[in-house]
Amino acid sequence: MRSASAKQMGLTEEILDDGIENYEKSENFTKKEKLALLYSELMASNPEKIDCNFYKKLGEFFSEEEIVELGAFIGFNIGYHTFFGTLDFYPMFSPDGKLVDQNESRRIYGDRPLSHLKGAIKRSKEIN
Amino acid sequence: MSNIEPIKEKNLQETQIKEILLDCEKYNIPGELFIRILSHVPSYAENLYDAMKRSFYSGNVSHKLKELIRIQLSFISGDVYSQGIRSKIALEEGLSEEDIESACSNFENDERFSEKEKWALSYSYLMYKDPKKIDSSFYEKGKQFYTEAQIMEIGSFVALHYGLQVFMRTISLSSS
Repeated sequence: MRSASAKQMGLTEEILDDGIENYEKSENFTKKEKLALLYSELMASNPEKIDCNFYKKLGEFFSEEEIVELGAFIGFNIGYHTFFGTLDFYPMFSPDGKLVDQNESRRIYGDRPLSHLKGAIKRSKEIN
Repeated sequence: MSNIEPIKEKNLQETQIKEILLDCEKYNIPGELFIRILSHVPSYAENLYDAMKRSFYSGNVSHKLKELIRIQLSFISGDVYSQGIRSKIALEEGLSEEDIESACSNFENDERFSEKEKWALSYSYLMYKDPKKIDSSFYEKGKQFYTEAQIMEIGSFVALHYGLQVFMRTISLSSS
């Protein structure tokens, strides 16, 4: 699934893939954005690395209000994405916006639906 | 000192948050300090508190069971703050520290829990320890004890509380 607002603001699949796999070295992101992406990655995988020094670094780019906003948003999403993953359901729409049933959606998005560029877009065209 | 300081009560402007803090005194979960951290973003404090309160104090699943799950999750997430607080209502319903200790360690072999309760405790334990084990067979077993609505209630409760506990862990807030 993708946020319609984020797409309207210019978020592309290329930027998304870059943000997930390569953000640390990517020129698509500012230092501020990279730190936010690192915050989210660490919260999911190594929360023990988010210590006072990390929060001080966050404080160089974000206000306390923004840090709480980011942190709570990330936590909330970590919780729900893991839960949803156990329910084994897939998006209602193909990458190009067509309504599909769960079997079609599973075929389009596959076991790892993260990147649309790595197969989902091509597979959605195949059902047409 | 925590990594984000809770907003001091005298600095809170929003009436609704002051009312939430009165509620926190009454129920104790999610705890006043947590709300005062979230109050850096007032709309988050209001809406997340509402979601947490509804998930915890209403619905068709035992509150005592949810409290056991909440504390179990806090050990998995490493959130010391949430580990240290207790639901007043669950304590009034007879929840003991021995129950809690077992739920967080050896619940599968403990006769104090029914098979129904053990499934729910396994569900919350596995969700973040080994989610691949929560497959269709696992859900089919759950349906022997719970309706789909109750399973969604437990799953959503687990998701909401665990996710926010992971955030709270990084804040390093103490409940004392």
